[in-house]
Amino acid sequence: MPGVSSASGGSSASGGGALVPISPESQGAAVYPLNHGLKSPISRLSISWSRGNSLRVSFFAAPSSVEDDAGGTVVEVKLGGGDGEISDAHWRRIAYGSVSPFALLQSRKNAISSLSKMSTNSSPYDADWWDYIMEYSKDINALLSSQKPASVPVIDDPKSVIVKGEEPTNLKAAWELLEMFYAEKPSHLCLPERLVDWLADFDSLFSGTHPTVHSKLVDFQKELVNLQVVEDNPKYWEVMSSALAVGWLDIVVKMLRLHGSYQLDQLSNRETENGLVEAVAVLISKMPRMRLDQEAGKLGECFKAKPDFVKAREKWRAQINKLDSSAFWFQCAHLQTREGLRSMLQIMLGNANSLCSATCHWIELYISHLLYIRPFTVGLESMYSLAQKIIQLKPMASAHRLMGLIIGILGENTEVVLAECLKGFGPWMVVHAIELLTAGSDHAEMLLLEERPNLGGINIEELHRLVYAQVLSSHPLTWQIAPIYLISCMKHGMVLLQILLSKQPVQHNQLLLKSIEICRLYELHSITANIMKIAGVHHWKHGRKGSGVFWLQQARDEYRLNRIAQQLFDSVGKTISDESFKQWEGLIQLLGSDSKTAGGLEFLHKYRDFKKSLQHVFDGKTTDAARQAVESLISLMKNPSTPQRFYLPLLYDSLKLLNWKDRPLLNVSQTNLLLTKLQDLSLARLRPDFIESELPPQALNSVRLALATNLGRAILEE
Amino acid sequence: MAFAAPETPSRVHRIPQSKYIDAVRWLSPVSALDRFAAVAYYDTDTNSPSIEIICVDPNPQGSSPTLTPQSSWTPPSRISSLKTAHSTHQPILAAATFSGSIHILAPDLINGGTVESEATVSELGFHSGPVSAVDLREGGTECVSVGEDGRVNLVSFVGDSSNLNYRRIFDANGLVGYTAVKWASPSEFATGGYGFGLQWWDQRRPGGPVSQFKGNWCQGKTSGIVHSIDIHPSRKHTCLAGGSSGTVFAWDLRAQQQPIVLSGAGTGEAPISLLSESEVWEVQYDCYTRSSNIGNITSTRILPIMICSEDGILAVIEQGEEPLELLAEPCAINSFDIDQQNPSDVICSLEWESIAILTRS
Repeated sequence: MPGVSSASGGSSASGGGALVPISPESQGAAVYPLNHGLKSPISRLSISWSRGNSLRVSFFAAPSSVEDDAGGTVVEVKLGGGDGEISDAHWRRIAYGSVSPFALLQSRKNAISSLSKMSTNSSPYDADWWDYIMEYSKDINALLSSQKPASVPVIDDPKSVIVKGEEPTNLKAAWELLEMFYAEKPSHLCLPERLVDWLADFDSLFSGTHPTVHSKLVDFQKELVNLQVVEDNPKYWEVMSSALAVGWLDIVVKMLRLHGSYQLDQLSNRETENGLVEAVAVLISKMPRMRLDQEAGKLGECFKAKPDFVKAREKWRAQINKLDSSAFWFQCAHLQTREGLRSMLQIMLGNANSLCSATCHWIELYISHLLYIRPFTVGLESMYSLAQKIIQLKPMASAHRLMGLIIGILGENTEVVLAECLKGFGPWMVVHAIELLTAGSDHAEMLLLEERPNLGGINIEELHRLVYAQVLSSHPLTWQIAPIYLISCMKHGMVLLQILLSKQPVQHNQLLLKSIEICRLYELHSITANIMKIAGVHHWKHGRKGSGVFWLQQARDEYRLNRIAQQLFDSVGKTISDESFKQWEGLIQLLGSDSKTAGGLEFLHKYRDFKKSLQHVFDGKTTDAARQAVESLISLMKNPSTPQRFYLPLLYDSLKLLNWKDRPLLNVSQTNLLLTKLQDLSLARLRPDFIESELPPQALNSVRLALATNLGRAILEE
Repeated sequence: MAFAAPETPSRVHRIPQSKYIDAVRWLSPVSALDRFAAVAYYDTDTNSPSIEIICVDPNPQGSSPTLTPQSSWTPPSRISSLKTAHSTHQPILAAATFSGSIHILAPDLINGGTVESEATVSELGFHSGPVSAVDLREGGTECVSVGEDGRVNLVSFVGDSSNLNYRRIFDANGLVGYTAVKWASPSEFATGGYGFGLQWWDQRRPGGPVSQFKGNWCQGKTSGIVHSIDIHPSRKHTCLAGGSSGTVFAWDLRAQQQPIVLSGAGTGEAPISLLSESEVWEVQYDCYTRSSNIGNITSTRILPIMICSEDGILAVIEQGEEPLELLAEPCAINSFDIDQQNPSDVICSLEWESIAILTRS
């Protein structure tokens, strides 16, 4: 049942497939009660997506007469806690790690396809291609291992039968199956042996739902410590037969050596018995196997070529037959040993009944058939027909997700394989498995890359990439790798990427800059500008005027800059004459001298210059400084970006210049300009939206008088 | 662009964490054997931030380093900036948060690294919005904090009161936002902000910055934000800054408005090696001397520096030389710290929820 996410992070609703749009089985609606803690009845309910796969449910209470009662409450409901086997953090680690291999393979694919377009006669799938696929598969496989390396005991305990390796996961097991069948094309001849290895690694995964040889071994291991005479225990022989049937030769030989007849004090009177045990152990360790390489320390003799293998196998079987019919058995006094060893010989000879009773589920039986009855099975078709026969021999009540996958693979049914991947392992698996499925099979490629009108014109590959990208986008940490998958989608990827980027929050610079960086990588300049505008307005609204202006400038948004300029001028008019001018200094520097990106704000720059030169005049009183101040005044008044409401304050501030003692500083045309502006101002004052400046009431008159006086003096001088 | 490859490759270990890492800092060691680091985590699943003291075992039985968490402290909100002071008998951490508070932490490394919040400033009006950067003065008695709200605050924590007092040095009322800060001397510090602007402050001359560096030197190119500043104790007149578009530059107070561009956008004249095109998140002087002896470097030359960037580059830049790339990750490197006692070791926080420990040889 879903938990409230604030309480704990790891509750699950419907298991692994919860993120997937296709429901595996329609089990009818499940009802989960939510505790909202409201006393009064609920009048309204609002449900929306929160971060990740959390639902935000808002309850609004009906207006009640009780005063203290809260008006509503918001509950976050976490859906689908994921796999259970793999934690959320591990899933994220897998998602991060698979980005590079995926991107590398895509770029190699693109390179190969552009190469094959240029030269028509070369096949796109050359030797390099298989190396690339294998490299990709190995990289992904490495991610699926658990992070902690398995601790290897320094002292070999003779009684520890099973070596505990790293904890196997279904995901890794599934990936290795795919790798075996789709990426390792050339080694199809050795597939049976690869399956034997696979089962040795992952048999324990079936223990949860089915009896397995592995679980038998684990149980026996526990008993073993307390057993004095192992060979008297029927389980000892049973477990060994089972392990032999699935080809775990090392374990069997190790267990045989625990036989009581090896003990020094008993060796003399159990000589024949010991000889038989040792003979079987030697035969087991000499079993011919058809495989490319053998791990050091593993038993069995390897053969790479089929004729050698056939010859060795015939010889080996002849030796078993000879031992089976030898007279020594009658001299063996220990009944259990005699029976146990002979049944092991039957397994090695491929007695179907022995194999069937020694194994627990159909995959184990299948493996035993491949080992002892039909070691020459080649080709998926014959492997599939064998599998079907075996399933009838050992029908299962419930199917494991790996079993469904194996049947799909053997049946060469791409749809089934995809469906099993999706159902059992989620969208990550499908997206990355498709690369392997399409690697060598034209049929799968056709099936997956064919555009489908019922999917809106996209192909299955793109559909799954889009689904996976959506999953990534829903988490605040993984959204930034979604673009890698989106751009590999030809049809809808770009549009979805634009939507994804536009939806990212802009409050914090780090996130904002991340979005902008992704835009830069994919050359989405219009999105960049939009994001910057949103950020600018956000900062502006929150009183961070400098940041707001910066982002709007970066976006080259003159319209908004002009709008906010009007607001800024309001505060300028009030504060700029104060000491707080230092505050403005920084903003003016930020605006720079480039008027294009400053919008209406370039006025601030000029105003600052004017104020500065005016300051010089008051300090030094030199005529040169005064002339400079007049220049800035005139350029300010000429500039169309100077707001009208600043005309009067500007002129009032310059009264000293207008009434300059030595000689008039403004010539006739300059004075006329100022007078015209003053006239404009008087007209503008009649408009209702005019904002009166905070100046003494006689300011206008004194400016008028000064200008008139100056005009007179200037005319006289000219 | 070919980068100089390191002559002897350094050893890199990436240690996956299950939380996002906002910042990472070495702590000055208390004994020769143990090495500690402070990590600011953010758990997105539970929406909970934490500062953890971890013990770094660089080489347990020849395998990769292990990080053992020692203790943890929960701040009120996510950490925006984390700094340490080195020249103190006990390591001191200053942590700034997105909710506008500052916390002074003093982990007790001898007794299991317990973290206690020594002091906190979180009053309304200290900063409005997030504190964007904080810096501890060497000696650890004062720290300065800046924000995009334009406030510059000085927090002193002499004595043992748990609620600190702070002094507002300047309030730009949001007209200017600051994004980086670094002490230069006991009375001077530098701040950085939008438009590659830098400001120099002197407490002895209050009322505003005593000197400003105009960031408009990259004409025609888009401007950017300064994310990090460093000032070398022996070169107090030079302010090193890193920011947007892979820009790393130095501002020499003696040559007021002429930046020394070390990497990035540049002035458009000499082709300057472009190491990275995205955000440079952190810059630090690299005290790990290579073959060239440091004594020969004249005072006009910039000392070697290390940077980390959004596009996953960790590199050492020396003026007039090819940059040396130490790491090229597929994800962003958010922060790094050079071990002051053992400068061959660098700890980095990677965007993909892991910590990298790099040992240069």
